[in-house]
Amino acid sequence: MDEKIVSMRGICKNFPGVKALDNVEFELRAGEVMALLGENGAGKSTLMKILSGVYTRDSGEMEILGSKYGDLTPKQAQELGVAIIHQEINMCRHLSVAENIFLGREKTKNSILSNAEMEAEARNILNELKIDISPSQVVGELTISKQQMVEIAKALSINAKILVMDEPTSSLTSKEIDDLFRIIRTLKENGRGIVYISHRLEELQHIVDRVTVMRDGQYITTMNYADTTINEIITHMVGREIKEKFPRVSCKKGKEVFTVRNLNAGRMVRDINFSLYEGEVVGFAGLMGAGRTETTRAIFGIDPKESGEILLDGKELKINRPMDAIKAGIVLAPEDRKKDGLCTKLSIRHNLALPNLDLICDSLGVVNRRKEDGLCQKAITSLAVKTADVDTDAGNLSGGNQQKVVVGKWLARNSRVVIFDEPTRGIDVAAKVEIYNIINQLKLQGIAVMFVSSEMPEVMGISDRIIVMCDGRITGEVMTEETTQNEILTLATRFESKMADITQ
Amino acid sequence: MMGEEKMENRSSFVRRFIKIRGMGAALTAFAGLIIIYIAFGIINPMVFSVNNVMNLLRSMSKYLLIGIGQSYVLITGNIDLSIGSVVGMSAMISATLMTKGVPILPAIFITMICCMAVGIINGILVGKFKLPPFIATLGTMFSARGVAYMVNGNRNTDAIASGIGKQSADSLQNFFYYGKSLGIYNTFWIAIVIFAVFFFLLSKTRTGRHIYAIGSNLEAAKLSGVNVEATTTKTYLVSSFCSFVVGLILCAQAGMGNMEAGMSYEMYGVAAGVIGGVSPLGGTGILLGTLAGSAVWQTLENGLNMIGAQVGIQRVVIGVIVVFAVLLDVVLRRGKSFKKKNAEKASS
Repeated sequence: MDEKIVSMRGICKNFPGVKALDNVEFELRAGEVMALLGENGAGKSTLMKILSGVYTRDSGEMEILGSKYGDLTPKQAQELGVAIIHQEINMCRHLSVAENIFLGREKTKNSILSNAEMEAEARNILNELKIDISPSQVVGELTISKQQMVEIAKALSINAKILVMDEPTSSLTSKEIDDLFRIIRTLKENGRGIVYISHRLEELQHIVDRVTVMRDGQYITTMNYADTTINEIITHMVGREIKEKFPRVSCKKGKEVFTVRNLNAGRMVRDINFSLYEGEVVGFAGLMGAGRTETTRAIFGIDPKESGEILLDGKELKINRPMDAIKAGIVLAPEDRKKDGLCTKLSIRHNLALPNLDLICDSLGVVNRRKEDGLCQKAITSLAVKTADVDTDAGNLSGGNQQKVVVGKWLARNSRVVIFDEPTRGIDVAAKVEIYNIINQLKLQGIAVMFVSSEMPEVMGISDRIIVMCDGRITGEVMTEETTQNEILTLATRFESKMADITQ
Repeated sequence: MMGEEKMENRSSFVRRFIKIRGMGAALTAFAGLIIIYIAFGIINPMVFSVNNVMNLLRSMSKYLLIGIGQSYVLITGNIDLSIGSVVGMSAMISATLMTKGVPILPAIFITMICCMAVGIINGILVGKFKLPPFIATLGTMFSARGVAYMVNGNRNTDAIASGIGKQSADSLQNFFYYGKSLGIYNTFWIAIVIFAVFFFLLSKTRTGRHIYAIGSNLEAAKLSGVNVEATTTKTYLVSSFCSFVVGLILCAQAGMGNMEAGMSYEMYGVAAGVIGGVSPLGGTGILLGTLAGSAVWQTLENGLNMIGAQVGIQRVVIGVIVVFAVLLDVVLRRGKSFKKKNAEKASS
């Protein structure tokens, strides 16, 4: 049982400004589980989306079940037997389980839907998988994990030969993972090939035959799982040297400014404790979905907190809305600058003025144009935003300059704590350095900086101290000078063991 | 769970009927209908008279047809603003042709082609070119109304009898409006037959299923191999077909073509659907709800008239009812999702 069912060679894919895949190869045999591993942005999902026809490749060859294919459409890929279970659930919430399973290939008799037949068949598939869901239930009423099970059932119902699972266990409980692994083993015995993408390296031992490691859009290696160790895999995943130069400034670490105690807010923010000091940049490392963004949102008062205290200079703060945080001197440059950080259709001027209207308006609420101009000029010159004038639409700026405007919004206020969430995502190297300089400037001014980033070299290059999160919890805290990338990645993949009760 | 399932299987037809998705909202609308009707009847017993009931059934037929068309489009998450104008086009084109002596059947056939053309244009603009449906159908709304004006040189038509003769005109008018079969006006029978056909199409066929899927999650539908362009176009075709029939009914009622026929009917269609539980956000609602919604709408109009309320008050009340129906839906839904969140929290 080791015929090749998928073989991809020399696959390249460019997105505007990013080389997502560079000459990648990938191979899958019938009856095996192949783990596809790599850090965020390594290109795993992109590669699988090409296999399933969601993206088209720029160049390279694909061979599926013995025939060569160029570009596939999602429908063709589905007919070939490639099924992908996406990380984000993609189902029709208003339709029932059976309706979703058979969507796009409903069974009919004299062009009338055979609902009973479809429900019966769906029930069989669900029973086969020992999934406890009624086929007539509306999908929107199921929990996320159940919805995911339905997606798997859907993939099986199209008799998929090649099954891609993108982070399937991230929202499952241990019993559900147990079920999933049992299903995967059954599928394997039936000679299907499974691509398993996961960050939970400790899970691999239960199902995986081989692993393929990718890094920065490139193929690194393929190994038999039995012949390797988790440490070796991690080394392959991070195995780069930090080549880029990070501007570093050192200054004396001051007194404690900001403290978060026992913060809880939903599943992704669990018992968070940390402190920030004057003149110190604290990096928050972790994988995508580790709960870092959720933590910043809870601190800033966007999402409701369940419990916990936030202290500034030793005094407790009540932050129920972003305005509370802003008034106290805590500001956030959010992750998705186009969605959360900027009004892209407004001018730079209006964006800069928006959170500061209380400072620049007179008592009647009329904007004082002179104060506004002053504020804009100050922000633009101190941050070196490259623009013709402040009345340009913020959406027309380059990514780096947009990010500067997001930061500039807060400079007019005497902020004590600045939170950056992925400030350098999608901007070019030169602009990144400028952002680092801004962070360093803030540090020199004695402002406490919380710096969330998924790019390991950056975290290590800029932060003085690094807090690592995984699955909504803080799993480690290290001094930058005393740590290694391997150590951080090990901490970042330290999931609570859901596997403890699995007996094989 | 297994025990529950067994009980489900054993449960009566009624229980299964109630469990149909969207049935809750539809039944609520029916309940509202009965309350409103009885309330008006208590104030003015004439509301209960056979004559009035017959009239009610006939005039609600127009709203029902409009509502069916608009509901099809709303369920995909889109909207059709051109409905009223297509009604006008239908009335004007058919009447103009008949005054020029074109026999009834060819005239109706040509009218149908013209009206369906608008549906196809809407479908292409929204389905293929991905224009926002509000804008695309706003454009066809103006253009179709313009066509309705132009057909007879910016005038209403003469009586259709002047072209096709009194006998033919009478038969047309009786068939669509004035005649009765089994004691009920033909208009109602026409609407009910069309309702039955489209009810079947939406609930029992693949196309119907795809309409819900598109409104529920466009991306998921696409990835599952649903032909979004074709399905979207079909909904607009249903909508323009219903408008075409309503145009004929208005033409038969007046015995001539009126350029303003069907003005703002598209909004009556939205109201009928929404009162019956069709969500303007797509994915939910059944035509039984639209049936109830159009009946509520007509009963309000008729009842407020019968108790002598002024036109102004009528409008205010109808407006309040529409908003209230949607508000109820939103509040219920929020409650549900809140419950679900808590359930998830508890299970994790």
